[in-house]
Amino acid sequence: MSKKTEKRTPAKKPRAALVVVAGESPMVEELAAVCQRHGYAVRAAINQNPSSRSTLPAVSLSSGGAILKSASVVIEVTNVAAEIKRTNLRRIDALLPSTAPILSSSVTVSATEQASWIQHKHRLVGMGFLPGLADVPLVEVAPTVFSPPATVEVVTRFLASLGKATEIVQDRVGLVFPRVICQMVNEAAFAIAEDVAGPRDIDEALKLALNHPRGPIEWAERVGLQQVLGVLTALQREHGGERYRIAPLLRQMSYAGEWWK
Amino acid sequence: MFKRLGIVGAGTMGASIAQLAALMNVEVLLYDINDTILRLALDRIKTDLRRRVQHGTLTAEQSSETLSRLHSRTSVSELSHCDFVLEAIVEDLRVKRDLFKHLDAHTKSTAVLATTSASLPVTAIAGLARYQERIVGMHFFNPVSGSKLVEIARGHKTGDSAVQTASEFALFLEKQPIVVKDTPGFVVNRTVHPFFSESLQIVEEGVAEPQQVDRIMKALGGYPVGPFEAMDADGTDAHLDAAKGLFAQFFGEPRFRPHPLQERMVEAGLLGKKTGRGFLAYDENTNDK
Repeated sequence: MSKKTEKRTPAKKPRAALVVVAGESPMVEELAAVCQRHGYAVRAAINQNPSSRSTLPAVSLSSGGAILKSASVVIEVTNVAAEIKRTNLRRIDALLPSTAPILSSSVTVSATEQASWIQHKHRLVGMGFLPGLADVPLVEVAPTVFSPPATVEVVTRFLASLGKATEIVQDRVGLVFPRVICQMVNEAAFAIAEDVAGPRDIDEALKLALNHPRGPIEWAERVGLQQVLGVLTALQREHGGERYRIAPLLRQMSYAGEWWK
Repeated sequence: MFKRLGIVGAGTMGASIAQLAALMNVEVLLYDINDTILRLALDRIKTDLRRRVQHGTLTAEQSSETLSRLHSRTSVSELSHCDFVLEAIVEDLRVKRDLFKHLDAHTKSTAVLATTSASLPVTAIAGLARYQERIVGMHFFNPVSGSKLVEIARGHKTGDSAVQTASEFALFLEKQPIVVKDTPGFVVNRTVHPFFSESLQIVEEGVAEPQQVDRIMKALGGYPVGPFEAMDADGTDAHLDAAKGLFAQFFGEPRFRPHPLQERMVEAGLLGKKTGRGFLAYDENTNDK
């Protein structure tokens, strides 16, 4: 598998090709906005929240068969609720024409495992996605053991049409960015629990000393604690061992909803 | 308050802090056990001040006044009248413990004594002194002139007033003080550790190449420098040493385990920019430092 950045000029796309974005809020809204900005027609299917305040045209994955049949690509971004992701992917796979690819976030479940849930295994490609990342110029893409080069090629071209370069990485939970960031959040939580310094001081210290754009706690707030826990839980499940032990404070705070306030 | 500052150790850290303080009207007594190092430090400061005058960021008068405030000292006993003494000597616990025992016995009792150690516990450094409450950590970052933070490390017996004074001194030098508990790596080196360690793990597992990890972290996280570029800039050997230190001080906590890949790099002499190659290759003809 080649490991290189692919930068392409936006491919010529058919008039208002339809993209269906399914999964968790706010990632669905964020990605739908990017697709709309780049000239796609978009339908959204937000998990467990069909009546969200979103003004996006919605589609139901259970009853929207006609719409899904005309979609040219589906993006699935459920990171926290694996069971819902499985249901979503199975419904999508049953209705979407078998030639259309599914681009699915694979930060908490490997893309290969996801592909094993569906019939048309070849068409699913993983990607790294967390809330707040819709506007970055690069996407981590993780082909599965089932993905033929042609599927990867189509997905890469689609992302290029959204103005995004791709970085092909191996299919492991957490990919690169979510894995590194969540481990930094985890270490910061250990440090807070041990009273080394307060959360704001930790952020401030890393920004001032090392010119980091955000401290770990600010990352946790931007991405959401449930997402961070989802990635860390997946890393622990896949790797085992104490290296991925989750800071007890992190879990504790996730029950509290807000971190440290 | 900070009229007379004593600095022990005239290496890069000691000399940089000496210069910064002298520029801010502090009388600085600079001592090093090695006369050559002391002389070289003053030469470096002179060169740097001259460059600033040439660039117009300092007047010739300010430069000569700054130099007149820098006094080299050949005996550590000559620091006995300082209000504040900073230690910036070799990172060797035994040597530092002995030094602080000596400083504690030969400075006025109101003086605050600070160690700039990045990797040794303040508590241990202060261990042989009688008045440990006045011994505090001040972890500056390189380069001192460009950095904006000082970690104020509170040792097991450090008193509030020493923490307060060290924080005020950091502010006086126009650095943000952040008070941290005396734990391995303090805040910065500990919480940044996964940035490097997890990246190394990812490369060891073959998930992505070092260049890819750097591109991803910069593009997605907005980091100015990727983890592998940063390790190459600091020296892969320095990073390995720091990782080993952290791992040992945490008594083998698996999160801090150094990576075999790091050791192989050092063994192969791939130390980073300074050797032209580390995780990445550098054109020997480029001048960037």
